[in-house]
Amino acid sequence: MAKAHKISGVKPLCSYRENARIILPQKVEEVYTWEPFIRDAARREELHNMRISIKRLRYTMELFRVAYGSPKRDSREVTVGDDKRFVEFLGVIVDLQEILGDIHDADVVLEVLTDYMRQSERGTAAPGIAPLIAQMKEARDGDYEKFLETWEQLSAADFKRKLLSFLLAEPIQS
Amino acid sequence: METTALKTEHISPDETLEVCARQIIVNYFHQMMSYKEGAKVGSDIEFVHQMRVTSRRLRAAMDNFVDCFPEKAFNKHYKTVKSITRTLGAVRDLDVLITRFEKELATLPESEQADIRGLIEHLQQEREEARKPMLRLFAKLEETGFERKFLTFFQAL
Repeated sequence: MAKAHKISGVKPLCSYRENARIILPQKVEEVYTWEPFIRDAARREELHNMRISIKRLRYTMELFRVAYGSPKRDSREVTVGDDKRFVEFLGVIVDLQEILGDIHDADVVLEVLTDYMRQSERGTAAPGIAPLIAQMKEARDGDYEKFLETWEQLSAADFKRKLLSFLLAEPIQS
Repeated sequence: METTALKTEHISPDETLEVCARQIIVNYFHQMMSYKEGAKVGSDIEFVHQMRVTSRRLRAAMDNFVDCFPEKAFNKHYKTVKSITRTLGAVRDLDVLITRFEKELATLPESEQADIRGLIEHLQQEREEARKPMLRLFAKLEETGFERKFLTFFQAL
């Protein structure tokens, strides 16, 4: 598993809100470092690393949710509209994490089944294992197609630019 | 038991990052450690799962807030949290596989069940082995006062 990218430019003595706009865009960029590899279904390691980067982005978004929305003076409330957009973006990230999670789970199950067959020298004749391997491969292919389709749709909709634009936007005092 | 993100409503976005970072790390730490006893018992797989998820959330927070703390002591605590995630992960991965194959088993005709039963038994033995490093780590954390030291460091102003 790849390490988290080092976050730069953090200002500990500045506000949580300001630092959200420094940290979150870097988390988005970390996710996109894996993009060049995802159109090859066999790049298991890179797909796994993208899943982990997406998970880190998700957790960081959840941490900073309170920092988005227009602050009302003397209040910790945020405006409903901005929170709704935040939740929509977060929902996309969670969906991507889940599809990539399904792909990873299938990869792990396939590895376990294949190793078990090899270790026990049951070969391809094992009545219980061989059909499961075939079934799992099919499920993995389906999950991968679903992921790629989702990713391409998001790319066509300019998702990255919209997400970065939202995460970088300065709050408007109301 | 439910996997949820930490409630951050009590965090004021106008407060300094340093102050918020301490609150968040301490809160996640308490949440993570609250699952330890259940994970030690091992009869309900959810405790290991929740402790692992919370340790990941804690690490994600620590990754973001590293610049708020003195490096040397911070890194020591970070490494320990990473060890917690790793040892829990080894157990959790096997729990997931066992659960999955148990479900598969129910869908198979009797003639095809023997191989899967054998695989499940094999994975259960591996799980018992995977629990040993986790339990050793928990014992070490207790012996060395990790919890007290972690909280002293992150609560200090």
